[in-house]
Amino acid sequence: MSKRWKSYRAGDYYDELIIAKGSPRQVARPAVKLLGELAEDDLEARRAAAELAIREMGISFTVYTEAGNIDRAWPFDLIPRVITAREWTSVRRGLEQRSRALNMFINDVYNKQKIFADGVVPAETVLESSNFKEQCVGASPRFGVWAHICGSDLIRNRDGHFYVLEDNLRVPSGVSYMVENREITKRVLPEIFQNYSILPVDDYPSQLYRTLAALSPRERKRPVIVVLTPGIYNSAYFEHAFLAQGMGAELVEGADLFVQDDDCVYMRTVDGPVRVDVIYRRIDEDFMDPEAFREDSVLGVAGLMRAWHAGNVAIANAPGSGVADDKVVYAFVPDMIRYYLNEKPLIRSVPTYLCMREKDREYVLENIADLVVKPANESGGYGIMVGPHADKATHRKFARLIEKDPRNYIAQPTLALSTAPTFIGEDIKPRHLDLRPFILQSRDTWVTPGGLTRVAMVEGSLVVNSSQGGGSKDTWIVEGRL
Amino acid sequence: MTMLSRVAERVYWMARYIERAEDTARLVAAYNHLIMDIPRGSEPSWEILVRILDAETVFDEWFNVRNEQNVLRLLMGEVDAPCSIPYAVKSARENVRTTRDVLPDEVWELVNELHLYSAEAAEKSVGRRNRQAYLEQIIQRTQVINGVLRSTLCRDHSYRFIKLGQLLERADMTTRIIDVGASDILERETAGQGIDHLLWGTLLKSLSALGAYRRLIEPQVEKNAAVNFVFMEATFPRSVRFCIRELKPELAELSNAKDAQRAIERIRRKLRGFEAEQFDQAELHVYIDELQLLINGLHQSIRDTWFISDHG
Repeated sequence: MSKRWKSYRAGDYYDELIIAKGSPRQVARPAVKLLGELAEDDLEARRAAAELAIREMGISFTVYTEAGNIDRAWPFDLIPRVITAREWTSVRRGLEQRSRALNMFINDVYNKQKIFADGVVPAETVLESSNFKEQCVGASPRFGVWAHICGSDLIRNRDGHFYVLEDNLRVPSGVSYMVENREITKRVLPEIFQNYSILPVDDYPSQLYRTLAALSPRERKRPVIVVLTPGIYNSAYFEHAFLAQGMGAELVEGADLFVQDDDCVYMRTVDGPVRVDVIYRRIDEDFMDPEAFREDSVLGVAGLMRAWHAGNVAIANAPGSGVADDKVVYAFVPDMIRYYLNEKPLIRSVPTYLCMREKDREYVLENIADLVVKPANESGGYGIMVGPHADKATHRKFARLIEKDPRNYIAQPTLALSTAPTFIGEDIKPRHLDLRPFILQSRDTWVTPGGLTRVAMVEGSLVVNSSQGGGSKDTWIVEGRL
Repeated sequence: MTMLSRVAERVYWMARYIERAEDTARLVAAYNHLIMDIPRGSEPSWEILVRILDAETVFDEWFNVRNEQNVLRLLMGEVDAPCSIPYAVKSARENVRTTRDVLPDEVWELVNELHLYSAEAAEKSVGRRNRQAYLEQIIQRTQVINGVLRSTLCRDHSYRFIKLGQLLERADMTTRIIDVGASDILERETAGQGIDHLLWGTLLKSLSALGAYRRLIEPQVEKNAAVNFVFMEATFPRSVRFCIRELKPELAELSNAKDAQRAIERIRRKLRGFEAEQFDQAELHVYIDELQLLINGLHQSIRDTWFISDHG
């Protein structure tokens, strides 16, 4: 093994590949061995090849800065993350269960509201949330499913268990990078596949197609499915195109669609108007339909909500789904699972303090230096305060914010995110990571084998978002022992 | 499978820009050869390239002196100059970037690679030493892209609009090259009888027509026969007549094609019975002008019928 690997020390965290003494976990051994045996210049050549592949395949994401939008090459780390198939099976079951319960909750909230009546979730926490959309009340999407595509963020804690950190039910992104990361590994480290049987991930687009096709209001062999993108300047445009192509669907912008007097949605084509059955929307619901939501939206399609309520078009994820990815609602998910499914939660949630509850709030304000404080409605890692990493002034600032608007804040204990060996310049260092699997649900439920592993590239940092300098790793689900 | 109007427009322009990059590279390469064959003092000026590409205004914005270095910097080195090769490639890439879902995977990768290459190598390829290698790369890579399109793309609407864009651009470029090239050669007619064959040969070469001409017509290139060849030769895929004829079956597969078909008919009527012998230089110029207007008319009817669409 090369010097780099020998001098690698996992910190006081669960390390995905290396155990405390410095030797690799059994399941990671062939990978570490191969990487460790590569000569210096060979290794450099592989890393360069990976960078080139990313540029040539045009895998990019857009970063918004004051100086304008920049198209950045996707950050990829050569060292894969390895998870055993056995461990993954239990995670997968937990995620399927969670997705079922979340969808039953959304359907309940917009219809009978039994969960409020039975006192399991306080009505006002949901109804006062900006994620609750009045416009969706009374709708009944097919199979009672609202969130057809869910991206849940998991972390592995020091105890070695996976925890769900949050569920993204609006327009979760990242799945194309999961597929492309595998593609890059295949190109630059082909030998490594000889020693492993790794579950394939490139099936995702066809699974997504199946999930969406089942929603079609018209019985047709090939329903007309479109991916609705805000356009080329959206940070996830690459992914929108990737998925449309993978499904053989049209990639449309708002201006390509219109709703006619018959309350059906049509797209403008070279053959005239063609009716659309299913819209996989990758634009925020607030911009989806200027008739129903923000009037100033130029990205949306006027009348879309009318068509959806009339049952003439399916929209995935259904508008209003975001009501269940509120960070306050998150705290109630284990209760939902027990309430709707009469089952024990199979995957852990992070203990969550709701600042709206007086007792919780007192605890949070007293222990703010040890907690992570999050606004209930932001995504992308914005507006989060990590207590142990923040200074006193920031603690005071967040205490004031909480007192001013307790509904909008939650707090959680600081978790010890697991680490994995990551190339940092010439060296290999432990860096924290998370995992975003994707759960598809319509007629049935399907979970990606693995998901997108995101890496915080700065030492000690827990911020993994690519918009804030995070990296990524190929994630393997393999046969073998820990 | 139908096609979004917006997507149709973008693949059409992608094809035009790819063709433009290739044609421009051929043109520059042919002149580059010629310059080395001709005795100093009687070589044609590089300025002719600027005139063929209708780039006088752009040139004056960027440079003062119309010398070899500046002309080539404009056509090869400036990514932001609308008549340059890297600009055409960049524009093609932008159009592919937004239509990746209807094109084969390799097309995006190839266009993207071509873009990276054309932008990075452009600056240092202006000098005579690397120039030819650069131009050959551009030609080869655009041909690979066309090859992939031809061998992997379904003969559906995307293929159709790609073909429309490609053939239209090619016909347009052929008429430009003949128009400016002929006037340049004829103006110097008195100057050097001896090198006229060489000059006409170069013109054919820039259209990749030299070999075919020699096989089908005669080894020695002669003006009228050369112009007839690139305008009318029914078997030569870059002749104007061939391009226009190939457009017809593509249009037949599209709905609402009446206007475009009429525009094609007008071009065919104009071409019918064309013989270079009938024209002097001034008349040929007027004729080509009118032909170009008709070709542009075809472009406009394609745009109005399939790209700009309101409800319906």
